[in-house]
Amino acid sequence: MSERYAARKVAKSQSPAKQGRPGATRTRLARWSKYVLLSAAVLAAVTPVYWMVTISLKSEVDQFASPPRWFAFTPTLAHYYDAFFTRSFAKYLTTSLTVAGLSTICAVTLGTLAAYGLARFKLRGKLDQRLSLWILSTRMFPPIVTAVPLFLMMRDLRLLNTITSLVIVYTALNLPFVVWMMRGFFRELPRELEEAAMVDGDSRLGALVRVILPLVTPGLAATAVFCLIVSWNEFLLALVLTQTDASMTLPVGIAGRVTQYEIKWGVMSAAGVVAMIPILAFAMAVQRYLVRGLSL
Amino acid sequence: MDVRFENVSKTFGKSAVVDQLNLASDDGELVVLLGPSGCGKTTTLRMLAGLEDATSGDIFIGDERVNDIPTQNRDIAMVFQNYALYPHMTIAQNIAYPLRVRKIARDEINRRVNRVAEMLEIGALLERRPRELSGGERQRVALARAIIREPRVYLMDEPLSNLDAKLRVQMRGELKRLQHDLGTTTIYVTHDQAEAMTLAHRVAVMRAGKLQQFDTPMNIYNRPANRFVAEFVGSPSMNFIEGRVDHSSYKFASDALTLDLDESHLARLSGRDRVTLGIRPEHIEVSTADHPGWLAATVYVTELMGNETFVFLRVGGEKIIARASAEFRAEFESRVFVKIQMERTDFFDSKTGLRI
Repeated sequence: MSERYAARKVAKSQSPAKQGRPGATRTRLARWSKYVLLSAAVLAAVTPVYWMVTISLKSEVDQFASPPRWFAFTPTLAHYYDAFFTRSFAKYLTTSLTVAGLSTICAVTLGTLAAYGLARFKLRGKLDQRLSLWILSTRMFPPIVTAVPLFLMMRDLRLLNTITSLVIVYTALNLPFVVWMMRGFFRELPRELEEAAMVDGDSRLGALVRVILPLVTPGLAATAVFCLIVSWNEFLLALVLTQTDASMTLPVGIAGRVTQYEIKWGVMSAAGVVAMIPILAFAMAVQRYLVRGLSL
Repeated sequence: MDVRFENVSKTFGKSAVVDQLNLASDDGELVVLLGPSGCGKTTTLRMLAGLEDATSGDIFIGDERVNDIPTQNRDIAMVFQNYALYPHMTIAQNIAYPLRVRKIARDEINRRVNRVAEMLEIGALLERRPRELSGGERQRVALARAIIREPRVYLMDEPLSNLDAKLRVQMRGELKRLQHDLGTTTIYVTHDQAEAMTLAHRVAVMRAGKLQQFDTPMNIYNRPANRFVAEFVGSPSMNFIEGRVDHSSYKFASDALTLDLDESHLARLSGRDRVTLGIRPEHIEVSTADHPGWLAATVYVTELMGNETFVFLRVGGEKIIARASAEFRAEFESRVFVKIQMERTDFFDSKTGLRI
């Protein structure tokens, strides 16, 4: 405080007295408007989540009360019981966890290896660059155009309504992203690091595992979170490829509560709240890497 | 173990980075590859390390042809210009890495890490990480990681170039002593001729992928194979004067000056007309007083180095540099007199640049 005061005093004594005040006012205004904007953004992000959480805890009477009951209602866990014990949401949750987890592991493993190769080896005729671009180009069309071909392929492979089909599709969906992210991280590391490791007697794979990967952990964490979110939230392809209770993921299961005759808001919200938790937990677990990974 | 390059070439696309290199070190020798940037010296070292493939030719370590042996099996150790320490490991883990990947017992590793750390006076740093260390300390860690094993060859790629001047001179001496004590063949790459002269048993001067001369520092300095070597080695650089030989009047004449030649010069220069005369700055005497037979010159600038003075002169149209004592004083544009010690001159073919 005293420091700032001193600085202002110096500024005042150096410049004409008139200019000191408006400058200070302007910085204060800038700071306040920053807080106002940030608060608005937080409010916009949190309100729907808050509404979902309250809906999941409200009886059906409270849900449709007018004016809406923001705070004053009697909480009930009936919808949670309904979703996870009477209905199959527990099963959807397990399916989602399995699919998202496995596909993330596959995409990150395969993508990281591919990215390392593309980052470090020059192929004849700039093939490495062409390959990278081609990989990226597979993300340039909307995934929906692949839905029908994928459905036919999975049908012929007898993989419809299986977790395997979703793991394969989500891995393919995430691979380009992993390759491009990790390629960028690898490129930032000096080549001499793995060269030193190889001169020291390690194989290239050993150098990758012992020297390079520990150095790109933040990037790896950030990439994995993205993959997990994409797989976790994916709806369209899951809807096309899975129809049975045993193979359905949470997003498909939740959407299924919008029926011809009624919309099960309470059940959907309860499932939605539970669906948030794994991603939230994972993101928090890797948070200390995440900030560095995203800003790299 | 000795190292041999036999007709080794490396091309990137159409340009030859290393061109038909033939070079053989003795066992235990310290060979310095010297040359300006882009001369192929680093590529040569990297081919020996297996980090680049030779396009053609054979590379031997001892009697073993290593062209097709992957880096990790070549049994070498290398110090990189930027040290390439592993940032996520402690200093002890960095030094231990070559032993760890060879699955040597933990006790043995600890013992050897401590011994090497003591040798290089970095024992107090073992638990720190590379980013907490100064440049000189990192340099020592890189050295420690290289010498913890007893490899067949040490490779050093400009290991001192990231250090400040004072530390560089100190480490230069320590490196020389270390190499002597270890007695292991060392291939050392640098563009700094002072490092090359002080460290090497033999210096290989390279230019544009071609070996120019491979000889002892003394011979490189006193009997340079060509004009490039003569110019590259020595500071300040050798003076060159283009001119003609007049065999009948025993004269060497350039546009700006005329010098007397003797019988031995003429014998060497027989049948030649246009030649380049080379003379090192320390073989030119400068005086403010005139002596018979000396040449008149104008002082362009003088640089007092403390123990000596570099005098930049104009003799006629030629610019030459002379080395004078620290006591020498002369004003800008003042008139002085110089004597070129004709018995110390070198002559180079004006076209090929080769020493005559």
